[in-house]
Formats: sequence, structure tokens, C-alpha cells
Amino acid sequence: MTDETVVEARELVVRYGDFTAVNKVSFSVRRGEIFGFLGANGAGKTTTIRVLCGVLPPTEGWVRVAGTGYEDGENAIKAKVGYMSQKFTLYNDLTVGENLDFTASLRKLDPGYYAKRRQELLDIISFGKGLDAFVQDLSGGTKQQVSLAAAMLHDPEIVFLDEPTAGVTPAGRVRFWKLIHRVAESGKTVFVTTHYMDEAEQCGRIALMREGRLVAMDSPAGLKASAFPEQVFEFEPLQELSFSRMGEFQNHEAFSFFEPYGHRFHAAAANPEAWRRWKPELEKTFCIRPIAPSLEDVFIRMVEDRP
Amino acid sequence: MMNRTLVGFIKKELIQALRDPRMKFIIFMAPIVEMTVFGIAISNEVKNIRLAALFTANDFVLRDVYERAIDGGWFIPARAAGETTQDPFELVRSGDADAVLVPPEGGFTRALGRGGAQLQLLVDATNVTQAQSVESYMKAIIADTLQADLGASPRPPPIEFDVRVLFNPSLDTAIFMVPGVMTMLMVLTTLILANIGIVREKEMGTFEMLISAPISKSEVIFGKTLPYVLIGMTNLPLLLAIAMLVFHVPLRGSLIALVAATLAFVCTTVAMGTLISTFCQNQQQASMASFLFMFPAIMFSGLIFPIENMPVSVQWLAFIDPLAHYLSLLRNIMLRGGDLRTSAWHICVLFILAAASAAASFRRFRTTLS
Amino acid sequence: MTFAWPRAAAVARKEWFHIRRDPFTMTLALVMPLVMVVIYGVAIDFNVKNVRLSVSDSDQTQASRRLIDTFSSSGYFRVRRDFSPNQTVEDVVAERARAALIIPPQFEKDIWSGRTTRAQILLDGADNSTVVPVSQYVGAIQTLASERIAGADMTPPYDLRTRFLFNPELNSRWFIIPGVIVVIMAILSIFLTSMTVAREWENGSMELLLSTPVEPLEIIVGKAAPYAFLGALAVVFVYIIARAAFGVPFRGHIWVFGLGCLIFLLTYLAQGLFISIATKQQTLAMQFSMLTGMMPSVILSGFVFPIASMPKFFWYFTMLLPARWFMIISRHCFLEGSSFFELSVPFAALSLSCLGMTALAARRFKRTLE
Repeated sequence: MTDETVVEARELVVRYGDFTAVNKVSFSVRRGEIFGFLGANGAGKTTTIRVLCGVLPPTEGWVRVAGTGYEDGENAIKAKVGYMSQKFTLYNDLTVGENLDFTASLRKLDPGYYAKRRQELLDIISFGKGLDAFVQDLSGGTKQQVSLAAAMLHDPEIVFLDEPTAGVTPAGRVRFWKLIHRVAESGKTVFVTTHYMDEAEQCGRIALMREGRLVAMDSPAGLKASAFPEQVFEFEPLQELSFSRMGEFQNHEAFSFFEPYGHRFHAAAANPEAWRRWKPELEKTFCIRPIAPSLEDVFIRMVEDRP
Repeated sequence: MMNRTLVGFIKKELIQALRDPRMKFIIFMAPIVEMTVFGIAISNEVKNIRLAALFTANDFVLRDVYERAIDGGWFIPARAAGETTQDPFELVRSGDADAVLVPPEGGFTRALGRGGAQLQLLVDATNVTQAQSVESYMKAIIADTLQADLGASPRPPPIEFDVRVLFNPSLDTAIFMVPGVMTMLMVLTTLILANIGIVREKEMGTFEMLISAPISKSEVIFGKTLPYVLIGMTNLPLLLAIAMLVFHVPLRGSLIALVAATLAFVCTTVAMGTLISTFCQNQQQASMASFLFMFPAIMFSGLIFPIENMPVSVQWLAFIDPLAHYLSLLRNIMLRGGDLRTSAWHICVLFILAAASAAASFRRFRTTLS
Repeated sequence: MTFAWPRAAAVARKEWFHIRRDPFTMTLALVMPLVMVVIYGVAIDFNVKNVRLSVSDSDQTQASRRLIDTFSSSGYFRVRRDFSPNQTVEDVVAERARAALIIPPQFEKDIWSGRTTRAQILLDGADNSTVVPVSQYVGAIQTLASERIAGADMTPPYDLRTRFLFNPELNSRWFIIPGVIVVIMAILSIFLTSMTVAREWENGSMELLLSTPVEPLEIIVGKAAPYAFLGALAVVFVYIIARAAFGVPFRGHIWVFGLGCLIFLLTYLAQGLFISIATKQQTLAMQFSMLTGMMPSVILSGFVFPIASMPKFFWYFTMLLPARWFMIISRHCFLEGSSFFELSVPFAALSLSCLGMTALAARRFKRTLE
């Protein structure tokens, strides 16, 4: 990862009529980074990506992608990026080969180069089936991998992936992220949105969006530190805890944060004083141990919590 | 103009359109079937009119009129014909007869002898042209019968018209109707496909993928339309073969002119379909909109209703109707022998309509989302 | 198989929400019929007039001029004159005229010398809409000209009084509009439903519906109901326009017509659903609707082309078309004033096709579920 900025957005605003989807968002991404974009549905992630891909001109503000912007014409941006959209990007009724052929023709790739590159990419994703396999017959994970191959066919400097692992099996997601790392290591910049926190952990930096605004941007560790200055604990209930009791604890004065985590709870102490007072009592119900905060905790506190 | 992207686009569209056997049926087989069926079935000729004549036993002139009418081939006997006790009005009203001849009191023959015979003809005038034809036929049949029965030498009219029907002297129904059917069928496939094409991509989500590549508006629009022009043109040899081989419609003009006319027509319908699609967000809207265009287009094409009868204010609608021009071209080239100036005029108008639609589509089309 | 009205009602309610939120479809469904009726009512007139007649007068005498006058004052022809005979033929070939009148050089002389004079009339046989009416006019003008110019007494020995029943003024609209209602309803209903299920299959929401305990028949009834309502609304609008704006009489019983409408609507709605479920794809559904819905109901139902004029095979084949039967019902209700009993055959046929189509659709649904 170098210090060179390849993607920059400044005071980006996107409005659809009365509705502001993206509200004065600014950030920059460095070459070779894996940059993660997190947020609730409708927070503005997809809209931002679309702007960065040259597909949606912003209402206000500007972007700089690989040295070009909308003032050079949207095709200048489109030439430099690869985009895997949230909705499906391949044609179900065509074969893998036909889909890639079509992408190659859209990108006006030289046939010799295309043949080589296609084989390269299919090897990278360990594509087992033949080129004449119909896309609708592939598994979800394989479809996404082929989509990524299509997005990278023209060897773009930057790749934008909008929830690329949605609906993919856990093993599939691991495989996919191995690919992402490989891509980043080869000098490309990856800009990805995801809802999976284990994937977010693998990003160099993460930006959190909420209702069109950027609410935080930092490395995972940095986010955790800034979101939870206080100590976080994991509470494992010694017996079954009913929902009503859980509500009790959420409003408890000892906690500034109390959320379920699987069948356990993560909590942050409100202040040391209250914590010391209540700890013995709580130890009767829970097995308590201190932990480092997880990105889930960060996400819930920063994005989903009521302010 | 043909570049890598365009070629790739055309390939993809053709693969998609032709992969499904049901689609292949619709594009190739259905027009053939429809052409054959409609060519055989439809006709403007008035015949098989159910006739009743209320003649008594000794009213031989009326009976001869009736029999001459039936023999002539245009009329067929109505149920309960020949029974004088029927109420002629009821016969028509109940649907048993289309026309009834009612003699005066005492019979037609007797009245003729006394001079000033009145014969009443009741005709079901629901179908206006049919009713007029029936009256016309009847007059001729009665005149012929009188000449034969009464031996009255026909008074040849001092002024007589020698009527010749050019281009179709035998009044062959197929020659009348087949060009019209061809026109109608050529438009069905192309208009719908062109329309649904772009909208389908939008609905499926692949449109976003398309525009994420640095392609120009013209590459998308032509990529989406040229394949359908190709598909549309393949209909021509199929339909032409049936017209000529099955229905014996002649091709008196040049084949090249016909191909040029068809090319102009297909380009126009595809361009208009594309323009319509820029107004639609999903396929259902697209199909309803195509239909909303096509139905008046067929009606104003001159296939079914004569354009000249329409109010002048409405006739200009026929002017911008590509089907009207193509039908004229077909009739001109196949039947009249292809007057160059007329053909060129129609083809020019078609190209202007196509260009205007294409230009409008370009203006409305965006390679970005909004 | 149990049929539960509440479940069907739930399906209907959901469908109604879809409709209400798609203003495009709603407007189209209500506006399209109105537009069509108005267009038809205004534009269509079978009574041929304004026929461009190209005249060549080689005689240039008072008699020949009076002959030309007879043509131009008849109101049927628009005369273009003073060409050579060849030029008139060229006029017809080049579509500048639909008919040509060629007056020979000895015209007046022949009249006064008592010989039968012949003038030639050429008709454009490439365009069928003018040939028959014009030949009828020619016959009338022949008589008129003989009387006025040659002073001949052309009165026949009999007087044919024609009574045109149900449409005494031969108003084309009275014939067309009851037919347009049928065609509009057929097309509207088949379009409305044919794409709905296909769309739900494509976007996956159909599978959701099928995972519930809902029965195929409930789906059909539930989906058809809101569109039946829309269709009925459209019919009411069209009826109002037909009566109020175009003055088409309604001599039958409104409930008979209403019943016919309902059964007819349901038949085509069921057919649309059948197509939808059989194709599971919007593009195909659209094409098949055109093929089996729109084309037959416009071309083969007797709307413009009389079934009586078709080859005998089609008399039986068209019995399968619901549109044919409702065409009879519609026309009879408007013009003949028939009772339900008199229309029992069409009603029986219509009901049969309705049941048949619904059963077909239900069975197809069932098969897809399994």
C-alpha cells in the first residue's frame, strides 16, 4: 500500500428529488488498499459506489478516480474501474464464455489479450466448469467469482465490489476474500461494501455510513478504540435469560452499552464507580470477562444505535 | 461504425433471442402460420348471404330471382325460406336471414304484368358494406331475371362503362389481402422485441453492468436495435415465399426495391419501438405501450379501412404511420410494377420517420443512472 | 380440492395493491379503450368518397363534359382532368389516382347517332377498399348519365324498395363500435393478465405464493378479479361514449350485454393467466398474447372481415374463438335488440369457452405446483 491517493471524494452530495441519499461525504483511498464501506441498507453505500464508478453523476461535490473525474466525461472514469454491482451482473441465459466474450467486447479488448487474460482469471478463481456452463446453473459463490473475473477482465486499477458475498456460503466467502487479497497484493485497489464483520476486519480501513453521512473512518483497530474508550466485557449468562430481563440490563445504569452477541452479551461499563458497585451482583447471573470490542459492537454503537 | 462492441452486442442479442425454442417459434414459425391462415381466411368479398324470398306457388318470376340468386354463388338459402307465412322482419331480426325479398300483394309476377311492380328488399344493415353490396347484387339479379323470363330485350344503356380492374382483373381475394397481412405480421415481432429489449435489461439489472463500461450511447442503442432489424428482415423471405407460392401473388416490380422497402420499414418500426421503450420502466408497460402504438397503426395503415375515407384531420396520422407506407410500397412493387418515384417517396418518408425516432431516442437515452 | 373464498380474496387484494401503485397500467387500461373508441368512431367510415379520379377526355364536347360533371357532382369522386389515356394509367400506377375515366373521341357523336357509347373506367386493383364500392357507384352513374345526357328512359319495370334494417342510414359507426368494444376488451384483458404471473415468476415472488396453502383456482379467481373490475370499468366508459358521443342505439337489454361482457372478460383473463403460467417469461407471454389473443380477435372474429366470407373451414374454426360469439352478442344487443333467449347459442358457446379456459389455466397452475 502506497501513499498515493487513487480515489477521492469531496463534499459529495447525491439527491433524488427531495431525498438526499448521500450528504456531504468526503474521503480518500490509497493505492493498494482494501477499503471497506459499511452501513445499514439505504445508508447511501451503493449510491456512493455508483458515483465513483462513473455511472451516476453527483448532484454536488466532486470525485477523483485514478486521476480522472466527471469533468473528463464519465467514460474516462469507467475505463479505469471494474464494477461488480449488487444486482446480478451476468446474463443468466448465456454461458460463462458468452458472458465473458460480451464483457470483452464492451471493453473493446484485443482478442489475443482477452484469451490470455480470461484463462488467467479463470485459473485464479479455480473455475472448475467449462466455458459453456450456463450461468443460471452455477452456485451462488461461483457466480460471484465469475462476476469478479468479468469485472477484472480489462485489468482495471481499481475494483468496486458492492456486497460481493451476499448469499454465498461461509466457505465461499473465505475463498472470495482470498481472491480479494490476491488482487490487492498485485497492486490494485479494492473498494468493497459488506455486511459481514469478519470480512470488514480484513479491510485496511473502513468507512461507516449512516443516513447518507460518513460517521466514522479509520482502520478496524482505530474504530474499535475510538468507539469504545471504555473497557468492553463479554457476559455469558449462567442460566437462560429471558428477553424481559435483557431489557432490564440494557437500561441498567452500570452500562453504556449492552447488546446480545450470539447467545452472549457484550457490554461496556458506564463509569468505573458504577461498575465496581454492580459487579458482584452481576457475577451471580453472568460469567464476565474483559474482551477487545468487535466490529459488530462498533457498528451497532455507531450506525444502528439511536443517537 | 461497426466496431468490436457493436459486433459483440449483436452476437449477444441474437444468442439470447434465438436460444429459446419458443422464441424461435414466435419469430419464424408464427408469422408463417398466421400468414397462411389469414391469407386464406380473410376477405372483404360479400358472399354467403342468407336469402329468403316469400314467393307463392305461382309467383314464378320471384322464384326465378331467388333461384338465380342462389345459383349465382353469393347467396345461400336461409332457413325457412320460401314459406310465405313468415314475418319478413322477424326473419331478419331473429338472425335466420340476412336479406328477404317481399313481393307486393298478389305476387311479383302479377304486379309486373299490371305495371309498376313494387318489390321490397329487407336487408340486415348491421354490416354496412355488406348491405350495400346485397342491394347492388339484387338489382343486377332482378334485371337479369326479368330479361330472361319476360323476354324483354334489354335496353342497352346509351352510355355504358367498360370497367376494367387493373393489376387484379380476376378480383382475386388473396391479391387484395395478402400484402396487408404481410405488413401486419412484419411489424409484430420487430416492434415488440425492440421495445422489450432495453427495458428488459433495466428490469433484470444488467443495464447497470452495461453502462459501467465506457461505451457510447450509439453503441448501446445500435447494439440493441441492429439485431432486431436483422431478425425482422429474415421474415421477408419467409412471408414472400408464402405470398408467392401459396397465394400466387405476383412480384411485378424488382426484388431489390422490395428489399429496400422492407429494410426501411423494419428500421422504422425498430426505431419507433426503441423510442417507446425509453418511456417505459418495466416490460409490462413496454408491451402495453407497444400495443397502444400498434393498434392504431394497423387501423390507419389502409389494410382494413380505406384511408381516403377518413377525415382529413385524421389522415395525417396515416402519413406518420409506417405501416401505411409499407403497405403502399408492397402494393406498388408487387402489384403495380413498382413506379420508381412513388416507391422512392414512401421509402424516404420511412427513413425520415426512422431517423426522427432514433434521434429522439438518443436524446432521451442516458448512459448513466439518475 | 377445496376452494376458499377468503384466500382468493387475499390474492385479489394483493393484486389490487399492485395495480393501484402502477399508475401507468391503470391509466393505460382506462385511457386506451377511450382513445380507441374515439379514433374508430371518428376515423372509420366505410362509405367510400373522395376517390381520386383521373380523367382523359379525347372528345372535348358538351356531352363528355357533362359526363365528367356527373362524376364530380356525385360527391364520390375528386376529379383530376385533362390527361392523355396513358397518363391516366400512370396516375393510377403512381398512386395519384384510384380510378381513371377514359372518354373516347367519338363520344358525343355516338350518343346522337343512337349507338351505344363506351367509356372506359380503370380501377386500381391493388387497393381492395375502393374497387367494390366504386364499381357500384359506376353502375349508378351509368344509369344517371344515360338519363341526363342521352335522355334515355332508364326506369326499370319494377320498383325495388330496399329497407335497411337496424341501421337505416348505413352509419358505419353503428357497425364498428359494438365490434370495437369486443376487440378492446379482448385485448385489454389478455394483456393485463398475461404478464402479471410471468413477471412474478421472473422476480421470484411467485414461488412465495406457491409455498402457501393457496389453491390454483383461488389464484386464478383472485388474480382475475381486480382486472375484471378494471375491464368492466373500461366497458362502462366505452359504452357511455358510444351512446352519448356517437349516438349508437342500444335496443337490447343492458343486463344481457353486461352478462356477456362479464363472461367474455373472464374468458380472456383466464387465457391471459394461462399464457402467463405456461411461458413464465414476460417477453414470450407478450408474444403469445398477440398470437392467440389479439390477432384472432381482430381478424377472425367477424369484426371487419365477415365470417360468412371465409372458407367453410373457418366457419367451424372460429367457433373456438370467444370473440366471435361476443361479437354477435354485442352487435345484437346494440342494433337488433335481441333477447337472452335468442342469443342462447352464443351465450352457451361463450360460457363453455370460459369454463374451458379457466379449467385449462387451473390445471396448468396445478401442474406447475407439482
